[in-house]
Amino acid sequence: MGSVNWSTFGIVTLIVAVIAIIFAVLIVIVYKLCHVEEDKTVEVISEKLAGANCGGCGFTGCNAFAKALAEGKANLSMCGPTANENKAEIAKLLNLPFTAEEQAYAVVKCAGGLNSKNKFEYVGNEGCIAQIAFMGGKKVCPNGCLCGGTCASLCPYHAITPSKDGVMVVNKALCEACGVCAKKCPKHIIELIPKSSKVYVACSTTCKGKEVVNTCKVGCISCGLCEKACKYGAIKLENNVPVIDYKKCVGCKACVSACRRKVIKEI
Amino acid sequence: MAELIMIIVSAVFIKNFVVVQFLGICPFLGVSKDFRSALGMGLAVTFVMTLTCLITYPIYTYILVPLKIEFIEIIVFIFIIASIVQMIEMALKRFSPTLYNAMGIYLPLITTNCAVLGVAELVIDTVQIADLIGITAAQMNMGFAVLYGLFAGLGFTFVIVIMSGLREKIARTPVSKHLKGFPISMITACFIAMAFYVFMLI
Repeated sequence: MGSVNWSTFGIVTLIVAVIAIIFAVLIVIVYKLCHVEEDKTVEVISEKLAGANCGGCGFTGCNAFAKALAEGKANLSMCGPTANENKAEIAKLLNLPFTAEEQAYAVVKCAGGLNSKNKFEYVGNEGCIAQIAFMGGKKVCPNGCLCGGTCASLCPYHAITPSKDGVMVVNKALCEACGVCAKKCPKHIIELIPKSSKVYVACSTTCKGKEVVNTCKVGCISCGLCEKACKYGAIKLENNVPVIDYKKCVGCKACVSACRRKVIKEI
Repeated sequence: MAELIMIIVSAVFIKNFVVVQFLGICPFLGVSKDFRSALGMGLAVTFVMTLTCLITYPIYTYILVPLKIEFIEIIVFIFIIASIVQMIEMALKRFSPTLYNAMGIYLPLITTNCAVLGVAELVIDTVQIADLIGITAAQMNMGFAVLYGLFAGLGFTFVIVIMSGLREKIARTPVSKHLKGFPISMITACFIAMAFYVFMLI
C-alpha cells in the first residue's frame, strides 16, 4: 500500500468540483430557458390511478396511461386495479361517460397438469413462451396449461402459484385484474371473470370428446349435461367447451353437480 | 485537405463506431425501427459527440495533462456527456416535442452510449488518432478532434439510417416465423458489418 498523495487528491477534488459547478450552472440556465409547463390534469389523474405500474392496460406505466387518458387515446375500462370511485372521479374530471364495472379477477381455464398426457418429455427453458416455440408445447391437448409459470412470473401482485398438479392457479384475494397474465399466456387460457361469479370452466380444449378421454383425466368431453342442467340458459357449448354467460348466471351451482368430470368448478 | 478526407474515410468507414468497433449497439438496434426516429437519434448522437469532443479534448489536454491527473479522464468525460445530454433533452422537449416523444427512453440512454465515451477516449489517444488521420502525434489539435467527433457521429447516423431503411423493408416482407422481428435484424446488422469490413482490407 502506497501512501496517499494528498496534493494530487486535492487537485482532483478541486477539478471535479469546478467542472461540476460549471455544468450545474449551465443546466440550470438551460432549464430556465427551456422549461415547459406540464399539463396538471395528467398529474391529478395519475394520483387517482392505482399506481401499481402493472402494465395491464398496454401502456408503459400508470403515468403513460394517465397521459393517454388525458389525450383521449385510452379508456378507463382498460385499467383493472383502479377502484370504481377513483375511476368515477377521473371520468368526471375528463367529462367522460363512465359506468361502474364489477371488479374482475383472472382464472386459469385448465386443470390438466399431471392429469393430462405429454407428447414428449421437454427439457429446456421452463418459460411457457420458450416451450411453445418447440412444436407447440409438450401437452397433447392443444390448449392445456404448460405449467411453465410465465404468468406467475409476470404477475405484479404475485397472485399466481402452481397447484399440486402443476397447473397455475390464481389467488382470488390477491388478483387485481390487471390482465397481464391473460395477455401474455401463449395458450390464451387465462380469462378475466367477474369477482362475484360462483363457477368457472376449468378446461379450454378444442378437442373432441373421444380425444379428451384418451389424453386428459379432467378435460371436458362436451357431453352437454351442464347446458341441460342450467335453468337460466347461461351455459352454451362453444368449440367443444361450455361457455358461461356471467350476466345470466345466478350461482345456483346446478352445473357443478351435473358435470361428471368435474370440469365446472366452484370458486 | 488531405487530413479532412482521411478523417471522413476513417471515422465513417474504416473505424465506423457501430459496425466495426461495436460501440453504441444499444440505440443502433433499439431506435432503428423507423426511418424518422433513426435519423433523429443519429443526429442527436452526432451533436452530442461533436460537443463532447469540443469540450473534453481541451479539458484533457490543457487541464488534466499538465496537472498529471489523466487518470480521472473517465469520471470527467462521463460528467460532461451526462450534462450535455441533460441539456439537449430539455432543449428538445421545448423545441421539438415530436422528436422528444419519438426518441423516448433512448434519449437519456445517450448518456451511457459507449460510442460517445468511445470518441472522447479516441481523440485524446494522440498516437492512435494521428495514425488514423495520417499526421504526426504532435500535429494533433482541437480542430481535428472536433472534426473526428462530427464525422464519427455522422458515421453512426449513416449506419443507423441504412439499418432503419432495411428494417422498414423487412417489416413488409414475408419472413420465416422463427426469424421475424429481432433475429432478422441481427442478421441484417451482420451483413452491414461485413460490407464495412471491406474498408479494413484496403
